[in-house]
Amino acid sequence: MKEKLASWPTLFLLFLKRDWKKIVVWVAGLGLFSAAYVPAFEEITKGQGLKGMFETLQNPAMISMVGPTPVETAADYTLGAMYAHEMLLFCSLFAMVIAALHVVSHTRKEEDHGLLELVRSFQIGRQANSLAAMMEILFINVLLALFIGGVMISFGADTITVEGSFLFGASIGMAGILGAVIALVMAQIMPASSGATGSSLGIIGLLYIIRAGTDVSNADFSMVNPLGWTYLTYPFTDDNWLPLIFALIFSIIMVVLAFTLEGNRDLGAGYLPEREGRDRAKKSLLSVHGLFIKMNKGVMISWLIAFVIMGAAYGSIYGDMQTFLGSNEMMEQMFAQSGVSIEESFTGTIMMVMISLVSILPIVIVNKLFSEERRSRLSQLYATKVTRNQFYWTSIGLAVLAGLAGIFLAAGSLGGTASAAMEDNVTMDVVDFFAAGFNFLPSVFFFIGLAALALGWAPRLGKVVYVYLGYSFAINYFGNILDLPEWFSKTAIQSWQSRMPLEDFNAPSFLTIIVISIALMIIGYLGYHRRDLMEGA
Amino acid sequence: MTNIVSIQGLQKRFGKFQALNDVNFTVNAGEVVGFIGPNGAGKSTTIRILLGIIKRDAGNAEIFGKDVWKDSLEIHKRISYVPGDVTLWGNLTGGEMIDLFLKLHGGGDKQKRDELIKRFELDPKKKAKGYSKGNRQKVGLIAALAADSDLYIFDEPTSGLDPLMEAIFQEEVEKIKKSGKSILLSSHILSEVERLADKVVIIRQGEVVETGTLDELRHLTRSTVTLATKGDVAEMAGLKGVFDFNQKDDEATFSVDNQHLDDILVKASKLGVKKFESVPPTLEDLFMRHYEG
Ligand SMILES: Nc1ncnc2c1ncn2[C@@H]1O[C@H](COP(=O)(O)OP(=O)(O)O)[C@@H](O)[C@H]1O
Ligand SMILES: [Mg+2]
Repeated sequence: MKEKLASWPTLFLLFLKRDWKKIVVWVAGLGLFSAAYVPAFEEITKGQGLKGMFETLQNPAMISMVGPTPVETAADYTLGAMYAHEMLLFCSLFAMVIAALHVVSHTRKEEDHGLLELVRSFQIGRQANSLAAMMEILFINVLLALFIGGVMISFGADTITVEGSFLFGASIGMAGILGAVIALVMAQIMPASSGATGSSLGIIGLLYIIRAGTDVSNADFSMVNPLGWTYLTYPFTDDNWLPLIFALIFSIIMVVLAFTLEGNRDLGAGYLPEREGRDRAKKSLLSVHGLFIKMNKGVMISWLIAFVIMGAAYGSIYGDMQTFLGSNEMMEQMFAQSGVSIEESFTGTIMMVMISLVSILPIVIVNKLFSEERRSRLSQLYATKVTRNQFYWTSIGLAVLAGLAGIFLAAGSLGGTASAAMEDNVTMDVVDFFAAGFNFLPSVFFFIGLAALALGWAPRLGKVVYVYLGYSFAINYFGNILDLPEWFSKTAIQSWQSRMPLEDFNAPSFLTIIVISIALMIIGYLGYHRRDLMEGA
Repeated sequence: MTNIVSIQGLQKRFGKFQALNDVNFTVNAGEVVGFIGPNGAGKSTTIRILLGIIKRDAGNAEIFGKDVWKDSLEIHKRISYVPGDVTLWGNLTGGEMIDLFLKLHGGGDKQKRDELIKRFELDPKKKAKGYSKGNRQKVGLIAALAADSDLYIFDEPTSGLDPLMEAIFQEEVEKIKKSGKSILLSSHILSEVERLADKVVIIRQGEVVETGTLDELRHLTRSTVTLATKGDVAEMAGLKGVFDFNQKDDEATFSVDNQHLDDILVKASKLGVKKFESVPPTLEDLFMRHYEG
């Protein structure tokens, strides 16, 4: 074992040297995002704020998004309890995703690019690279945990205790480590880095959705979920360190598993078997759209399956809602007064979450065209009777189809499962779910439009579209909890649509955003049509 | 219309970097033109402009008398292209890729396809991610060679191929040449160009520095000779046309102006040749010579 790990400290130092800027941004950015909102939350607690927030967050829709609290009465709901309740899950999720992306880029991606082959030809052990990457992740996340703890204490706020602050930080740091070990295992199993990234993010997304179901029905079940080991520490209330110990044990097991898998495979290979292919192409492949479908098939199928699972997970929550209302008189009154059912309210919120996730797939498809271009895969094709027109509109068309299918499956699966879960006391039928889902079609189109615009004029910025999606999602997420100013909420594209089924369909806004999105696609085409294709650049 | 390709005053910059300064040359009907130059000289850039992959900043570039940017689709119907680094989709097999290229090109010869797969010893059932560089290159070559075109553009097509396969490629190109097609062959392997090309265009730092037939160019170049003689090999040093003379025991290495080869051989045989090796001018020699003036 020792020789397999030879020279890992050298690689570790090399990583730190190479990444130090990224690490600073990572620790400071995520750290401040996690810790620095204490004063803002103090504002909310004034007057009846805490009590109101406590009641709002008892709603299953809210629990499915932000997670549960151990506090049972509004009187015990403190600033610390609220901060952990609203922030910890979201920040942990972020920490996981960033760490997973980082690990794949330092392991599988370098391997795919042939860099590791070079590295291994020196006196460096087979697994030194993976160990160095894990050590770097450990270093970053310990730093992050301490930084978050320190920043929180520095506000000197009541109920933001020292122990709680460091537990809060440690939970986020541990989330990073969990994301990293999941990615490390996936990096061994998948045949290439894109598959490793995709499957790691898919797993994290799935954990988030599964915990939504268990949090609403019975938070104890979330204790078997790795993502649960982060926010179930309940800083500032229960201060429970036990989940972090589970997480640590789990991480060690995953690392050992990853190392075993890595030790038994060839460089550049994965565990999923390679089958022999056909010597002649099927007719269905022999066209640009045939090729593009084949190219995107794997990603599309896995995402669409994920959408169905997501819809089913959220749909299963509907069964518990009436029970919840029965146990909470105040909520029952609130819903009775407002004239909307709790199910409708939940649908409005959750549909926004789901369709934001659905938007990822079309963006992936549009951005894929540029990554193909960069890898010079298009040049020999382009020298045949194929036009740029075909490349571009085939990709956009496929993205639109994927968006439509995604909404259809997510909304249908939510509606179907919800109808089954609600049994006799049905307040909505399946058509309502489809309506609520397709109501967000303009936002999906808008993301396609943005990605198309980038593809045509500044293809390197294609990734920024994800950043805007993340931003929109965060605005909507916090918009549910905090009172954001109108103009601020409107910077998220989804907020231009009405919240169906709570509100009526807003046709002018629906059509306007669709038209703008189509215009963006056309403007993107004008750029794509005339710019240089970038090969290997 | 005998000019298949005609390029005048072609310029291209990437940001601040002037990749092409002034590129001029033509490819006539039925002609094989070797396009040579060191790495980074601008060969691929020129070819990409010809294919309409990137847009020129200034100058003229036409294929079949049509503008390479505006009429690229019309042009592409009648050309085949192989890049220096054929990249394929990892989950498609070589056979599938070839079929796809041929179909998008508009047909192609099925029989020729199968024959070429055999000749190049390609396993068409293997997924592309399992192919070596050379095998990927074969896929691109087979797809281009099996298609029926009027102009074939190859950009360092044999990189990664073993010598045996390189020879097969050259044979196939000769067949195409015999059938009267035009070929633009960018390469840094001089022997390949030597064997195939009617005309050579040399590019350096974005400028065409020499155009002509190989014979015209070769008189400018030197071969490297290693010679061991029974007599004193040092006597060779003084001859006309001998340069860079280096002696070790009874063996000497020097470069020779090809014009003076005859005198040198006469002298060497008088001394009694024990060993004689001559390496033809490499591309580097050609350049060195060209820039020594
Ligand atoms: N897309 C690009 N962006 C910036 N520089 C480029 C790009 N493509 C080529 N170059 C530069 O232009 C020069 C010519 O490159 P190229 O035509 O590929 O050379 P060759 O094919 O003769 O080796 C090189 O210096 C290369 O770095
Ligand atoms: Mg080149």
